[in-house]
Amino acid sequence: MLNNIFKVIISILLIQINMSNCNAVEPDEILNDPKQELRARKISKNIRCMVCQNQSIDDSSSSIARDFRILIRSKIQEGSKDKEIYKFLVERYGDFVLLKPPLKSNTMALWFLPFIFLVIGILVILNHNKKSN
Amino acid sequence: MKSKFLKLPIILFFIILFIFFYLLIIDRNPAKVPSALLNKNVPSFVTKTLVKNEKFSSSKEFGDQVTLVNFFATWCKPCKDEHGFIMRFSSEKNIKIVGINYKDNPKKAIEWLKKLGDPYSSVALDKNGKIAIDWGVYGIPETFIVNSKGIIKYRHVGAITPKIYKKINLIIKEIE
Repeated sequence: MLNNIFKVIISILLIQINMSNCNAVEPDEILNDPKQELRARKISKNIRCMVCQNQSIDDSSSSIARDFRILIRSKIQEGSKDKEIYKFLVERYGDFVLLKPPLKSNTMALWFLPFIFLVIGILVILNHNKKSN
Repeated sequence: MKSKFLKLPIILFFIILFIFFYLLIIDRNPAKVPSALLNKNVPSFVTKTLVKNEKFSSSKEFGDQVTLVNFFATWCKPCKDEHGFIMRFSSEKNIKIVGINYKDNPKKAIEWLKKLGDPYSSVALDKNGKIAIDWGVYGIPETFIVNSKGIIKYRHVGAITPKIYKKINLIIKEIE
């Protein structure tokens, strides 16, 4: 029984590993310079596909994601820096286009509430232990 | 004393549940993203027009009067659905309507406009979708209202429905 459960867990993990390697980049999009291609892939992983929303443009096969990938690659070839490319996209699509929300005044709660809850949780447990002792 | 600590997580749970439920019932579509271009100038671009294949320059087309900008394509079913509303804007309102033909076959687009009616004062071609990216467009049809100073005041993603039609009318009244 335990052995079977173990097998199932391992296969789920393997599927996950396999999935993280798959991407939607098509052969004709790939740049000749491997360094530039690597940069493009890195940026693409951080950019949200606006149609599928919870996928990066690196994973999405939608046509707008493809347009974004081609745009990023052409910007890299033109000599744009990573920061400039992110800025270009944020200016047009807002912070939402970034998969990782930036730390700003309106995202403070998002970034720090988990830590505040963690502290509250620890305090509650400590207090509870003290009382039961 | 023990029960007091047990109450706290339950209260928190209900607060969170209430927030989720509230967000569920209010009129909100998380798939709709507010435009980053609101209250900003129209992106500048130069392209060709659909029918006469003439030069289309954004600096000349925007900024003299209130303009409705509509991204459309013949392959897009919702574009056909909303076309009647665009026609109504052109006949009922004294505004300029600019169409941007997105990743389309120009021949098909000309035929489409002949068949369904042409509400646009001019149609700009966006063959590879680059102009759309400059406008922050991600799903056509999309409609923008540009005021007489060339500033984007409103954006709607998706087909125009009777509700949106009324809303656009109100906004046009407001900025005129």
